[in-house]
Amino acid sequence: MEHYLSKLEQLKFKFTKHVKNNNEIHIELDDTSQLIEFCNILKLEMNLRLLTIIYCDERKINHEFSIRYLLGSDIDDIFLFVISHMNKKHAYFPSLSDVFPSSIKYEREINDMFGIQTQEDTILKPLILHDFQKNVFPLRKDFDAKTELNYSHRKFEFTPITGDGICEIPVGPIHAGIIEPGHFRFSVIGETIVNMETRLGYTHKGIEKIAESMSIDDVVFLSERISGDESIANSMAFCQAIEKIGQLTIPQKAEQIRLLFAELERIYNHFGTLSGIITDIGFPYGASRLNILKEQIMQLNEKLSGSRILFGVNQIGGVKINMTDETLIYIHSVLDNAFQTFEKILDLLKSNSSVMDRLRNTGMIEKQVARDLGLVGISSRCIGIESDTRHTHPYGYYPSIRLKQKTPRETMEHQVELQKRIGDVLSRFMSRVDDLRQSKEIIDSITTLKNDGLSVSLEGELAPYSSGLGYAESHRGETLHWIMIGEHNSIFRYKIRTASFSNWPIIEHAVLNNIVADFSVINKSFDFSYSGNDL
Amino acid sequence: MKKRDKKEPFIDTSFKSKTIKNPLKMDDSIADNYRGYVTLDPDKEFILNDKIGKILEKSCPTHAITYQNNDLKIHLDNGKCILCGNCKVESPELIKITNKFDQAKKRRDDLIETFSMSAPFEKTYDELGQELKNKIDKIFGRSLAIREIDAGSCNGCEIEINALNNPIYDIERYGITFVASPRHADVLLVTGPASKNMEQALKIAYDSTPNPKIVIAVGACACSGGIFGNNYATTGGIDNIVPVNVYIPGCPPRPQALLYGILLAINKI
Repeated sequence: MEHYLSKLEQLKFKFTKHVKNNNEIHIELDDTSQLIEFCNILKLEMNLRLLTIIYCDERKINHEFSIRYLLGSDIDDIFLFVISHMNKKHAYFPSLSDVFPSSIKYEREINDMFGIQTQEDTILKPLILHDFQKNVFPLRKDFDAKTELNYSHRKFEFTPITGDGICEIPVGPIHAGIIEPGHFRFSVIGETIVNMETRLGYTHKGIEKIAESMSIDDVVFLSERISGDESIANSMAFCQAIEKIGQLTIPQKAEQIRLLFAELERIYNHFGTLSGIITDIGFPYGASRLNILKEQIMQLNEKLSGSRILFGVNQIGGVKINMTDETLIYIHSVLDNAFQTFEKILDLLKSNSSVMDRLRNTGMIEKQVARDLGLVGISSRCIGIESDTRHTHPYGYYPSIRLKQKTPRETMEHQVELQKRIGDVLSRFMSRVDDLRQSKEIIDSITTLKNDGLSVSLEGELAPYSSGLGYAESHRGETLHWIMIGEHNSIFRYKIRTASFSNWPIIEHAVLNNIVADFSVINKSFDFSYSGNDL
Repeated sequence: MKKRDKKEPFIDTSFKSKTIKNPLKMDDSIADNYRGYVTLDPDKEFILNDKIGKILEKSCPTHAITYQNNDLKIHLDNGKCILCGNCKVESPELIKITNKFDQAKKRRDDLIETFSMSAPFEKTYDELGQELKNKIDKIFGRSLAIREIDAGSCNGCEIEINALNNPIYDIERYGITFVASPRHADVLLVTGPASKNMEQALKIAYDSTPNPKIVIAVGACACSGGIFGNNYATTGGIDNIVPVNVYIPGCPPRPQALLYGILLAINKI
C-alpha cells in the first residue's frame, strides 16, 4: 500500500487522492484530458490491469455522470479507482482501448446502457440490448425499470470474412445441448475456423437496474441469481460490499461457514465442468463417473443448506445456515470418499490416449492475448498467469487458512507440471484439478468451528452515496461487486463484473485454427456463464 | 433456519450413489431440510388479521404472498416463490417448508393457493388431466423427445435439467430423451423469465416444433418472472409468449420435480 502511494507521489500528474477501506485508493485527476496518459503510466510502472469501468448517473447528486476506472494488481492487495466526471461540456468519455484492449467491452456496455460514447468517432456494436427501441438507456436514473419497451430493429453486422472457399456457420442462440443461449458466427475453410464472432446478451434480465428498486436484503436473493452456479460467490461479494460500507465485522463462525460453502460450490462446479469436457469429446463412461461425484456434492449441499445449488446461505451480516462440528466431520467424510473416487477416475482418464489426444493442443490461447484481455481465474491460470482473488485480495476467512507446507520435491514437481500448461484444453482441465485439490485442502484445514454466532445485524442507516467494493473468487475467477448506497438504505448503483464478463472475448481467439467439431469442448473447458455476462 | 432433530444423528452412513429406484417417491435421497414447497402450516390454527397478513406479504422478495384485507385471505403463488425461506424467518410459526416436490400444475392459476382463516388448503389434481391422458398416451406412446430452451434463466434450472441425465436420475430409462433440435421434439422445456432478447428465438422454436406439442415452464422465473418479475428486459413468464401446458414451480425445481412435471404433462401420473 505505502509502496503504491509513494509511487503515485512521484508521478508528475496533479490529482487528489484518498484511501478508503484499507485497500482502495481513489484518485481524481485535476486535468481529465491526461487520463489516458495517466492510466498508461499506471499500467507500465505499477503493472496494473483494468478490472472494470463503472459508469454512474449521478445527475441527482452533482449534475454529472461519473466514470470510475477500476485498476488492480495481480500481486498486491490494492484497488485503484481513477474517477472522472462528465458534465454537459464533455458528452464523451476517453477510450482506454489503446492502453487496455479489454476496455472496449465495457465501452460497448456503457454505450448501450447509458448512451454515452467514447471520444473517438467509432460506431460501437450493441452488446446487451438487441432489438430494443432506440434511444432507451436503462441505467439512466430517469428510466423506469418497469417501462414497456417496443421493438425496433437495431443494426448488428457481423464482421464479414470473405475469400475463396470461406463459408459462414451461424450457431445459436438456442444450442444443441442443455446450455444457455448465445450466438456464434463461424467463418470456416473446410473444417478449420478462420474467424469466430460471438453475440451475447440473450439472457439480459436487467439485474443492475431492478436492484435499484429493491431493498438491500432482497438484493441478496437477486445476487444469488446472477448466475445460478456462482450463487455463493456473488452473494458473498455483495454482502461483503454492504458490510464494508456499514463497517460491520461479521462473526468468525459465519466467515468459516461462508468459506466452506464457497469451496463446496467450487468443488461441485469443477466436477460438473470436467464431466462436461469429457462428454464433449465423447467418452461417456468417464463423464458419467464425474457426474456422479457432482451429484454427491449437490446432495451434500442439499443436506447442509436446504438447496441443491446453495441458494439462501448468505445474508447481510453473516449466514443463515448453522453448522456444528458434527456437520464438519460429515463434510470431510463425504469429500474424502468423493476425492478417492476422483483420483481413480483421473488415473483412468490420463491413461486413456484417445482422451488425452483430444484435449492436448486443442483451443490454445497465448499469454499476451490473455494479459491484454484481462483474463481472470482458470482461463488465466491455464497459461501461467497467477490470478486468484483468494491470494491477492484475501477476504473473509481466507487469510486465516494455513495450508500444509509442500516439500521441496512436491514444489519442484508442481513447477514442472506448471511448465506444461500451454493454454490448451488439457491445461484448463489440469488447472481445474489443481483447484479441486486445493479446495479439498482448504476445507480439510478447518477442523473446528468458532463459537461466536451466525450473524450480526445492520444498525442504523448506511450513509447515503457511500460506496464499497466487494470481491470473491468464484469457480470461474474474480468477481467484483461495486455498490453505491442511495437514500434510506436503497441501492443507488449496483455494478456487477463477473469473471465471465471479462473472460468471454478469449473464446474468439481460442477457437482459431481449430476444427468446428472441437468448439464445444473448447467452450466447455472455459465454462463461462452466459447469464453472468449478460446480467 | 431449522433445528435438526437431536435424536437422529446427522451423519448418514446410508449415503450412496446408486441410481435412485423411483424418483417420484419420497425417500431418503431428499434431505429433510430441503426447501421444496412453502405453505401455510395446515396444522396451526391462526386468526388472520392485518398484522399477520402484512408481515407475510412484506417478507416475500418476489411478492408471491399477497394479502387482501377485504376478504381476509392470503394468496400464495408458488409460481413466484423462489424458495428463499425468508417468510419462515419472519414468521416461523405460520409457514411450513416441506421437502415435497410434486407441485407442477397444468394451469397457472392452480399454482396460486388461497388460505383463509386457519383452514388448510385442499388440493386436488386437475380433472381435465384425466381427459387428456388417454389422448396423449395414444399419440406419444412410450417415447418422448424433449428440447430444452433457456429463455434467460440464471442457469440454476439448467443444472437441474442436466442432472436428469446423470446416472443417479437417469431419465432415459423412462423413454425420455433430450434432442438437439425443436424439430425433433414433442416437449419444449422452457426456463427463464423470457428475456426480451430471447422472445423471438423462443417463438421460432415453438413454431418449428411439430404438433402436437407440449410446453413446460420450468422454475419460478418461467412461471411468473420470479425475482426478476416483469421489467424492461423480461416479459414476466413464458406464458406471455407461448401457450404453456404445465407449470413446474421451484427455484430451481429439483430433478424429481422436473420428472413429476414431465410425467404430468404426458399424463402418466
